[in-house]
Amino acid sequence: MKGPASAGLIFGSFLVAFLFEVLPWSGTWLLARPDLVLLLLVFWTLREPRAVGQGAAFAIGLLMDVSDSVLLGEHAFAYVVAVYGAQVLRVRILSFHLPEQSLHVLGLTMVASCVMLLLNLLLGADFPGFAYFASPVLTALLWAPAAWILDSAALRRRREAPP
Amino acid sequence: MIADHRFHALATLRLSLNVLAQPLQQVAEMPSQALARAADFFTTQGELLRENRDLRAELLEQSAAAQEATMLRAEEEHLLAMAPGHGRYADHGVVAEVLYTARNPFTRKIVVDKGLTQGIKAGMPVIDGTGVVGQVTSVGTFTSEVTLVTEKGQSVPVMLVRNGLRAIAVGSGKDGSIDIPFMPVSADVRQGDVFVTSGIDGTYPPGLMVAKVSSVEKNSAYAFARIVAHPLAAVDNYRFVLLLPLAPPPPRPETLEEEVRKPVKERPAHAPRRQGGGAAPR
Repeated sequence: MKGPASAGLIFGSFLVAFLFEVLPWSGTWLLARPDLVLLLLVFWTLREPRAVGQGAAFAIGLLMDVSDSVLLGEHAFAYVVAVYGAQVLRVRILSFHLPEQSLHVLGLTMVASCVMLLLNLLLGADFPGFAYFASPVLTALLWAPAAWILDSAALRRRREAPP
Repeated sequence: MIADHRFHALATLRLSLNVLAQPLQQVAEMPSQALARAADFFTTQGELLRENRDLRAELLEQSAAAQEATMLRAEEEHLLAMAPGHGRYADHGVVAEVLYTARNPFTRKIVVDKGLTQGIKAGMPVIDGTGVVGQVTSVGTFTSEVTLVTEKGQSVPVMLVRNGLRAIAVGSGKDGSIDIPFMPVSADVRQGDVFVTSGIDGTYPPGLMVAKVSSVEKNSAYAFARIVAHPLAAVDNYRFVLLLPLAPPPPRPETLEEEVRKPVKERPAHAPRRQGGGAAPR
């Protein structure tokens, strides 16, 4: 049994993901940008449901909205929906192996992307092309490596129980 | 979301959250900026000498034009003192460096490195060496967002250089083009025509190049011609832009009744000099 994740690990992983997302992506690269922040939100919701939940998803989503200069609340809404899905399906997802878990995560990231796309279309933006759906697919593909790294024994050392 | 989109009510929240996100943004930009500076460092001496020579020649050509412009402006101010109305020109602007393109696949915006601390206000027009780039839409503490002219719904009042035809150029939001909507099929617009700002709205100074017409479709089945133009400014690849100051608002009248009772000629000018067309007040 691995120990619970420390707060430092959770915060550090979100920091790295955020730094990855604020790199100067543009054009087609931007459409294909994997949403590591969403990936980590889903991961920590499954692993540490009491530490990360919909409140964290909303707050982090707002931060993403501001840094990406999109409509305020777009990422927040999408992340809350995805995290709700993760919470509801938590026991089911954890009963599968990593590849099947990736499929579930693909569903969650697709839902989040479609929510954001729908919001923007309703407010008058043009459809950015099907390359837009490269992002959720890539995010789901990164599930297995991310889960493997964050679950590795080095990061989740079981601390000695006090006598 | 509705508050942000319809009422633009969340600007303060956005500004404060931006301050939080700003240091991380700067850290993330560092690698790409370091790469760009390193690339600059390795230019050959030959290239630098050639660029230097070309820039000096351009400066020489432009200084002659600048001297002529100063003389013309003085002459025009003198003439305008005799008649109501005032023109506006690109006097002095703030040079800003483009940091990155905004990471929003649904809009066309760029982020420049001047913000509230340098006195930037929302609505300031932004130009580069060849023409109009866009307008400042959102101001942060150290950076600002500029919406490009190619963004859907971003409009610039323009005028055809060749025959003075006035229109409004509206960004199309897709593939970097600009539409000129609502032009009748009989309008005298040809492929290759250049549109410049007409200065009518008081935001953009007159005479700045905006777009060049790339295709004109005149089908008498439709009420309007379909004119597609492409922006002349290097809207998609640039590093430095100029942010122009906003025109000061016209002076407030003492009381509204006084203002209404004055004959039209004596009212203070509310619009730049070039009125033209049929709607000019005496």
